[in-house]
Amino acid sequence: MGVSLSKKAESARPARATINYKAWLFDRGGDILLLILIAFMLLPILFLILGSFKSRDEFAAASSFFPSEWKFSNYSEMWTRVKFGTYFSNSLIICGVTTLVVTILASMSGYALARFRFPGSGGFSMAILGTQLVPGTLFLIPLYMTFLWLKNNLGIPLIGTNFGAIVLYVGFFLPISLWIQRSFFATIPIDLEEQAMVDGATRFQAFLYIIMPLAGPGVISTAIFVFLTAWDELLFAWILNVQTIPVGIRQFTGVAGSQNRYELLSAASVVIILPVAAMFFLLQKRFIAGLTAGAVK
Amino acid sequence: MALAPKKNKLSLWQRIRQNSLAYKFIAPTIVAMLVVHLIPIVQGLYLSLLDVRLTTLTLYLKAPFVGLKYYIEVFNAIFGIGEDGASSRVTGLINAASNTLVYTIWTNIGTLGVGLILAMLLNRNFRWRGIARTLVLLPWVVPTFVTGTIFNFIWLEQGGLANRILLGLNIVDTPITWLIGPNSLYALVIATVWRGLPFTTIMFLAAIQVIPTDLYEAASLDGANGWQRFRHITLPLIKPIAATQVLFGLINGFYGGYNIAVQMFGGGTGFAGEYADLLVPAITRQTWERHLYGFGSAASVILMGMLLIFVGIWYRTFRDSLRAE
Repeated sequence: MGVSLSKKAESARPARATINYKAWLFDRGGDILLLILIAFMLLPILFLILGSFKSRDEFAAASSFFPSEWKFSNYSEMWTRVKFGTYFSNSLIICGVTTLVVTILASMSGYALARFRFPGSGGFSMAILGTQLVPGTLFLIPLYMTFLWLKNNLGIPLIGTNFGAIVLYVGFFLPISLWIQRSFFATIPIDLEEQAMVDGATRFQAFLYIIMPLAGPGVISTAIFVFLTAWDELLFAWILNVQTIPVGIRQFTGVAGSQNRYELLSAASVVIILPVAAMFFLLQKRFIAGLTAGAVK
Repeated sequence: MALAPKKNKLSLWQRIRQNSLAYKFIAPTIVAMLVVHLIPIVQGLYLSLLDVRLTTLTLYLKAPFVGLKYYIEVFNAIFGIGEDGASSRVTGLINAASNTLVYTIWTNIGTLGVGLILAMLLNRNFRWRGIARTLVLLPWVVPTFVTGTIFNFIWLEQGGLANRILLGLNIVDTPITWLIGPNSLYALVIATVWRGLPFTTIMFLAAIQVIPTDLYEAASLDGANGWQRFRHITLPLIKPIAATQVLFGLINGFYGGYNIAVQMFGGGTGFAGEYADLLVPAITRQTWERHLYGFGSAASVILMGMLLIFVGIWYRTFRDSLRAE
C-alpha cells in the first residue's frame, strides 16, 4: 500500500532551506511500522475467512494459507450441523431489544445527569461507576438464585428464556451506556434548550425535539456499543442457560457429531461478525464522533 | 428550572420538586440497577460468608454461616501460606492470581503503548489515511469469543499462522509451543491486545487531533526536536484520555479475558492450564463446575479488593488529570 505524505503535511512542518533527510527517513520508518501494524490487525481476520472455505481435512492438516479448493458448502452445513439458526435468531432478538431499551433509558438518564444537578446526583453517579468495579462472578450467583426463585414461586420464566436475558442485559449495560450518553449531552450547548423554552416549550419537549435530534452520534455510539457488548456476552448466558450464539457456538468443538469441525466454526464466526461489521461500517463516522465527543470536548 | 446548576438557597424539598423531570428520567435506571446490580451485590457479599455448596444451595441465604473461612482459604492460597491445610479447592487459584497480575500489566502496556504509536502514525497526512484508519478498527467488530477462536487457530504449533510467519522469516528455527506452557499467558495477552487496540487507538487519535498545531510549530521554532515535542506537548495533553484508558484496562485486565481464554485454550474446551489461567475463569470453574458457591463469592470479593487497590493507585497517579466534569 502506497503511503505518501501530502503537500499539506509538508507545509505544516517548519520551513527549512534544505530537505530534512532525517525527518524524511523517520516518516518512511513510520510508514513501514504502520504497514506492519495494519498487517497484524488484518491477518487474523483474513486467516479466519480463508479457513472458513477449507475442507475439514485441509483445516486439520493446516498445510496452507489459502484453501486448495474453495468449499462454499461450509456456509450451508454450519446451519444444519448445530442449531445455529436458533442461536442466531435468539441473539438477534435479545441484542436488538436490549439495545432499543437501553438506548432509550440511557438517553433519558444521561440527559438528566448532564443537565440537572439534583439532590442525589452525585451519589447516583458514584453508584453508576461503582457497578463497573464489581466482578460479574460476585453477582452471578444471586442473580441466578433470584431468577430461579421468581420462576418457581411467581412463574416468571427468566431462566433459559430470551426474556430473562433481556432483563439481565438491560440492567447490565445501562450504567456504562448512560455514562457515554451523558458525556455526549454535555457537549451540546445549553442555549438551544433555553431558547426553545423561552419560545414556550416545556423542558421535556425541548429534550425530545431539540436535543435528541442533535444527539444522533451519541445515540448511535451507545446503541452500537450495547449491541456489540450484548452480542459478545458468554458467561451469564451460559449459566442462565440462554441459547445465544456465544453459548451455542461451543458445540462445534464439544458435541458429538459436530466435534472438531473447525472449518464450520470458522464459517459460523464469519457470519457472527457480519451483522456487527455491517452496522459498524455504515455508521462508523457518527459512531466515532459520539464515542470520542465526551472524552475530548 | 435549574438550567444553570448553581448553589441556591432553596430547601431540599424545593430542589427535589424543581428537578422532578430529572427524577422521572432516572427512575427506570434506578429500578434496573437495584434489580440487576445492587441487590445481587449485597446478596453476593453476604453469600461469601456462608457455606453454600451443591447440598446447601437450596437453603441459599439460610445456609450455615462460616464467617471468613473461605476468605482465609483464598488468601492463604494466593500468598502460598499454609498449603498443607489447604483443601483442593484452592489449588486452581495459586497461579491464577499471579497470572492475572501479569496479564493486566502486559495487556495495559501493549494496548496503551501500541495504541498511542498507531494513533500518532495515523494522525500524519498521507494518501490512504482514511482506509488505514478503517482497517485498524476492524478487530473491534470481532466479538471476544470469536477472537479466542481465531487465535486458537493462529497459535497452533503445527501450521498455525504465527509459527508459519516466524519460521518463514527465519526468526525461529523450530515451531514455538504457544497454547501450552509458559508462552500461553503471552498468547492470551497478544490476543487481548489485538482486540483492545482499535478502541484505544481511536481515543488517542481523537485526543491528538484536537491539539492545536501551532503549539508544535512554536515549539519547533524554539528548537524542540521531535521527542521533546512529544514529551512536552503530546503526552501532557493526552493524559486525561490515557487516564480513562488505564482505568478501562485495569478493569478489563482483572475481570476480562474470560471469553478469549475459553475459546482459545484446549481446542475450545476452555481450561488454560496453570500458566495462563486467570482468576475469573478459575473462580467460575470453582463456583459452577464444583458447586462451591460460597467459596466462589469470597474469591470474587478478594478479586474485587485486588482491583480496588490498583484503582486506588490509579487515582493517586492521575488525580490531577481527572477534570471535574
